[in-house]
Amino acid sequence: MTRKLVLLQVAVALVCFSAPMALAAMNTDTGPGCGVGKVIWADYRHQKNILPQSLMATTNGMFSNTIGITFGISGCTNDGKFMAEQKATMFAEINFENLSQEMAQGQGEHLASLATLLGVPAEHHAEFFAMTQERYTSLIQSGETTPVAMLKALNAAIAGHPVLAQFSTNR
Amino acid sequence: MLVSGPAWADAARDDAYRKELIGQATQARLSEQRYWHLLLHYRQDLTGGYTSEADDPGFFLAPNGKTDPQAELEAAIAKFFSDELVGRSRQPTQCAFVARYHWLKSQLRIDDRRLPPQRCERFQSWFEEMNAQSITVIFASAFMNNPSSMFGHTFLRVDRKGQTEQTRLLDYTIHYAAEVTTESQIAFVVLGVFGGFKGYFSALPYYIKVQEYRDLENRDIWEYRLNLSEGQITRLLMHAWELGHAYFDYFFFKENCSYHILSLLEVADPRLHLTDQFVAWTIPADTVRVITEQPDLVTDIAYRPSRSTQIRRKRELLSHHEDRLFLRLIETPAVAEREPFASLLPDRQAFVLDLASDYLLHRLATDPEPSAATRDRQHSLLVTRSRLATASPETTIAPFTQRPELGHQTSRVGLGSGWRQDEFFEELSVRAGYHDLLDPGIGYTPGAQIEVMSFSLRHYNRRDQTRLERFKLVDIVSLSPMDSLFKPPSWKISAGYDTVNRPDCRYCGNLNVNGGAGAVTETRWLRHEMYFAFAELDANYSHAFDENHRVGGGGTVGLLADLTERWKILLSGTYLGYPLGERSDEVRASVQQRYTLMKDLALRLEFNHRRRDNEAMLSVQLYF
Repeated sequence: MTRKLVLLQVAVALVCFSAPMALAAMNTDTGPGCGVGKVIWADYRHQKNILPQSLMATTNGMFSNTIGITFGISGCTNDGKFMAEQKATMFAEINFENLSQEMAQGQGEHLASLATLLGVPAEHHAEFFAMTQERYTSLIQSGETTPVAMLKALNAAIAGHPVLAQFSTNR
Repeated sequence: MLVSGPAWADAARDDAYRKELIGQATQARLSEQRYWHLLLHYRQDLTGGYTSEADDPGFFLAPNGKTDPQAELEAAIAKFFSDELVGRSRQPTQCAFVARYHWLKSQLRIDDRRLPPQRCERFQSWFEEMNAQSITVIFASAFMNNPSSMFGHTFLRVDRKGQTEQTRLLDYTIHYAAEVTTESQIAFVVLGVFGGFKGYFSALPYYIKVQEYRDLENRDIWEYRLNLSEGQITRLLMHAWELGHAYFDYFFFKENCSYHILSLLEVADPRLHLTDQFVAWTIPADTVRVITEQPDLVTDIAYRPSRSTQIRRKRELLSHHEDRLFLRLIETPAVAEREPFASLLPDRQAFVLDLASDYLLHRLATDPEPSAATRDRQHSLLVTRSRLATASPETTIAPFTQRPELGHQTSRVGLGSGWRQDEFFEELSVRAGYHDLLDPGIGYTPGAQIEVMSFSLRHYNRRDQTRLERFKLVDIVSLSPMDSLFKPPSWKISAGYDTVNRPDCRYCGNLNVNGGAGAVTETRWLRHEMYFAFAELDANYSHAFDENHRVGGGGTVGLLADLTERWKILLSGTYLGYPLGERSDEVRASVQQRYTLMKDLALRLEFNHRRRDNEAMLSVQLYF
């Protein structure tokens, strides 16, 4: 019996199961929302908890527009239609910890990616980086700041910036 | 002027053109062409017929499409005339199977006036969102603490146009994985081995994958940019779109993520023959090796260190004084406001603060329940860091092991000769996979051993007896060094059959299961040394023992050291006491060493001692 069990264990050992993630969404398609926020975080649950449970709720709502990119969601008709703003929100939600660090450092690939999503072209990333570092304490006031609040503050800061204001979507 | 006539006249015209196209296709024997087989994932079976690896009925347009390439081709042509919604994605055939349509269109020179192209808005917007410039194969290295990731993982990244290296995170990935439908571990394994799960493709943003592998599981990532033309990339994405709506039965051993990634590359460039090289199993590192062996296929290789690699490497760059400050800083961020920290140069302050916040990020990502205190400390550190208003010093993070394709091949055969107790023997051993502690370490996670399915046949000269000396079903050891920051668990588990030698039972077969947990530390005095200690349980079943079994426990201590670049040594000592079954105990000692001759050739000299049983063996081992 023991040997049998071990045989099974070997099999597990072979190969990349990796994250089923979003995949389950395909079969648990429940129309609006498509259940993807749930699925993504549900998968993380099996590993180590990364983000507060509350994020599950936020991503769940948000993914409805972005999940279209994952193929095969019969209930989601928008296979590729995205709202730039929702992309930025999803990105900020998922990468909030990394973004906080890179804002304080005034550089980094998460920060550059967020700048791109907010419409700041690559040649002006340096100004954007400097601004996030300089205004760090107002952008992220405490460990309590939510990604959405941070984005709102960031958009306001862009709108008020002498150079970056031209790219602001807050007009 | 075209006048649209009555519907029956349209239908008659369509019917005529359909017959004409099918006639052309049949004459050109398109259904026998490699590209059609690639698109439909047909494999020739033993009887000479074809069967598709795809298992979703919605992937086929003919009822017998899974096994009949010609019928499937005829059905495809017929349905191109229809706007009926097909497949699981409910699109017209031209859109759902956009790669088939475009291939047949070019092969048959389909006339757009006689078979009008349909507007595939869903596909178009998806394709534009992908906005592909190039394709990159991503390899996430092994993750020992999750059995299903032990061999690493591969997927594709679709590099967007107009991005910089800084914004690669925004790219999409194409990723194949099983949809796990059970909570039961045993069902998970059985279904996984025998194709009981469905595997699906998905296209998630790269930042989600980077977070998962690099930040949560602390796996190093290697990125291989491919040299594909625009047309090849378009074909790859068209086919990915077709696959995105279908499933394949998932097989752990062969038809896994890496296998399907290879099949996508073959559709991009049918001159590549990649999947053919994998007959029984597909190990992700081997697929990377095959890809890098193709002439001119890989253009750039990039390394993305895991967070723990970054922390460990950066910490090596601290002075003793800075390291003490760093350790205080992660407990008490206020240290940064005072002397002696304040008298460090600003860029050193930035470096130490960055490292401290890296560490707290690691804690926030990996602690099961990160505390509010950790979050607050991180916030204070970052506020201090932002006030420094300086850039982070450029740091190049070197990996702890080299790229996977540089490592030895994963199967191994060995020929040896030795002496056991009072006689000579010769030994032939074969191992299916993958790597043991003494194998050359290049390209493999240090301290990680996974041996699966290995057999040794021995011929004892004096007794003139040939026997199955050893069979290892599985033998896994994970040595993860601890330091003042990281306390990862180390563990081992093995199951197999070996040969015991006792006065009343010379060379008796023994079934053995062993497992243990332990701790490891490392030094870099000579090159790299790992010291390990395990507490373990050991169970044996053999006619050699009273009551046919003995079960007990004990401990092992040992040292694994690289003496030179080619020479590695493994010393270990074990004590086991068996209170159950045959009451007995045993002391074991072994000295094993390996000398690398070439990348895929090595020598081993080992000495093993058990009670009244000593053996020495010299062997040559070839990796293939």
